[in-house]
Amino acid sequence: MAIPAGQMMAVGRYLLKQRLARRERYPLVLMLEPLFRCNLSCTGCGKIQYPVQLLRRQLSVAECVSASDECGAPIVSVAGGEPLLHPQIADIARALVDRRRFVYLCTNAILLERKLDEFEPSKYLSFSVHMDGPRAEHDHSVCREGVYDVAVKAIRAALDRGFRVTTNSTLFEGSDPERMRHFFDDMMELGVEGMMVSPGYSYEKAPDQEHFLRRERSHQLFARMLGSPKRSWSFNQSPLFLQFLMGKRDFECTPWGNPTYNIFGWQRPCYLLQDGYAKSFRELMEETDWPSYGRKSGNPRCQDCMVHCGFEPSAVRAAFESPQAMAGTVASMVTGRL
Amino acid sequence: MTEARIAELVDRAFDYRGYVTLRRSDGSELVGFVYDRSAAHLDLLDESATRRTRIPLAEIADIAFTGEDAARKSQEIWERRKGKPEPRETPAHGDWADPGKVLVLVALEHELRSVARALGAARRGSVVRGRLSGGEVVALAVGVGGGARRAVAEEHPRLVMSCGYSGGLDPVLRPGDLVLATTVRGAGGDALAAPESPRLAAAAALDGLRFLQGGLVCATSAAASPEDKRALARDGALAVDMESYLVAQAAGEAGVPWLALRAIVDPLDSSLPPFAREARPDYFWPALRYAFSEPRAALRLVRLGRDASRAGAALEAALRRLVPALAAAEAHR
Repeated sequence: MAIPAGQMMAVGRYLLKQRLARRERYPLVLMLEPLFRCNLSCTGCGKIQYPVQLLRRQLSVAECVSASDECGAPIVSVAGGEPLLHPQIADIARALVDRRRFVYLCTNAILLERKLDEFEPSKYLSFSVHMDGPRAEHDHSVCREGVYDVAVKAIRAALDRGFRVTTNSTLFEGSDPERMRHFFDDMMELGVEGMMVSPGYSYEKAPDQEHFLRRERSHQLFARMLGSPKRSWSFNQSPLFLQFLMGKRDFECTPWGNPTYNIFGWQRPCYLLQDGYAKSFRELMEETDWPSYGRKSGNPRCQDCMVHCGFEPSAVRAAFESPQAMAGTVASMVTGRL
Repeated sequence: MTEARIAELVDRAFDYRGYVTLRRSDGSELVGFVYDRSAAHLDLLDESATRRTRIPLAEIADIAFTGEDAARKSQEIWERRKGKPEPRETPAHGDWADPGKVLVLVALEHELRSVARALGAARRGSVVRGRLSGGEVVALAVGVGGGARRAVAEEHPRLVMSCGYSGGLDPVLRPGDLVLATTVRGAGGDALAAPESPRLAAAAALDGLRFLQGGLVCATSAAASPEDKRALARDGALAVDMESYLVAQAAGEAGVPWLALRAIVDPLDSSLPPFAREARPDYFWPALRYAFSEPRAALRLVRLGRDASRAGAALEAALRRLVPALAAAEAHR
């Protein structure tokens, strides 16, 4: 596990508070999408297909801060689009850090090196760099040659300046488990704090519909990729979630765990599905038809989904609610086994 | 059209990643992006991506899918390059480099209030800085003299907009109506034609507001009486101000496209009270003195205040539409 102790404690305190307040539904990570525009057009992305006027639109610093205050989640994942295209992204990060939110700024890192001067290193701020695998796989996934090399250079520059850096890998059909294991070695050698992995969600609007992983294939791939994990690997994720990906555990989705806010409002029901928007976080939590989502609901769009935004909160919650699950988490953290 | 057919169209529109044109039962049309819907209504974001409208389904007569489908476009791009990543030197997708700022020049500080409200930004003296839909906007009060040239040189804008109040020269113009200049004529009689591309984009964005396009004449002193205005209206100009010509001249010299947008305060048949005939930093005390100067002055003052409020509101509404629309026009270049 690569999550710093201070962050784990802060998140633990937050979860305890929710338990003591007997809240049934509460957020863990705010998925903040300040804009949809991007400087890449990736094969499996369904987030950027909007008219140009909407791509030009972005949330203001005040809107971002207000969404974070309204939601109250201790972690904010700033996604998009490419957040570094937002002219005030450093102000947004600073304002969230001032509120002691743990900010994961997701980026393809094309602009990272030249924007680093605008940010200040903080234990609350981490650049989560999109890296879908080794050079060939990553460049293929983002449909542009040379992006892997640009990202690696930017990661080095960020680490040299004392920033926290993690990687975020989305896997598709055809990923080679052995090559991914080498990729994990490379990233750890580079010095990143931790890695995140997830199967890609089959966005309806993504151009490539053929390479999304179905559930069984996800289990097979992750079991081979994460089996006998090396001690040197650090994942910025719950061990229970990784075990879920490997097919060793089963969880139901927690769609309200990572609520999403963007230029349209609070997205129903989750980061991946767009069934409409709520005007307020409260409206999202109270008026969304939650039983209609998740695998048990029979909703066909949820059947193959194993994405971290729905299941990482389930894994974290399980660890807090079940002594066995907590014991499994601690054992995995101590032994490094999954 | 049946309710079932409307419901089907609404579902399709919600799924559609492009603009739709929605026709209401009263015949009016709205263009926008459908971002939400329920059994009773539909939520639409207008083309400038700033104004949200909720429309009851019962009011919808038809929906046409008039804008380009961004999802389909993405699919086509992907199919074209299938299996082949773009070469290393390909410019970043979409080329989202900051296109530069829009510089709004007004004559007087109190005209800046409309700009500040449109931007949701605070006015600091004679400057308002803000953003509309991602586009940077700087508004400056430069007086009626030659401040425009210096402002353009210092701000390096991509577009200059002369904005503010104006006197009406065409009898159809009422307080709060807008005039988008096709030409501005200086006191010496020479006219500058507004660059076509931003003007057409602006005209499209203003569609639905009360505005006319036509000539603007710039006088060296306030055209205060109906007689003064009729004299200026002889060559067909729609409105009169005192600064747009200098703004257009400064922008033209710097090679920057420009627009002139004016909101009518005093129509053709009305007279400006004496205190309003010259530029002042503050009109409060002169207005108060005027109010007590003659029996009907207070009433005229109230009317002028109301008309100025209408003009300010019209400018605010126009700017909310113009800046995002011009940013989008820039992105399409």
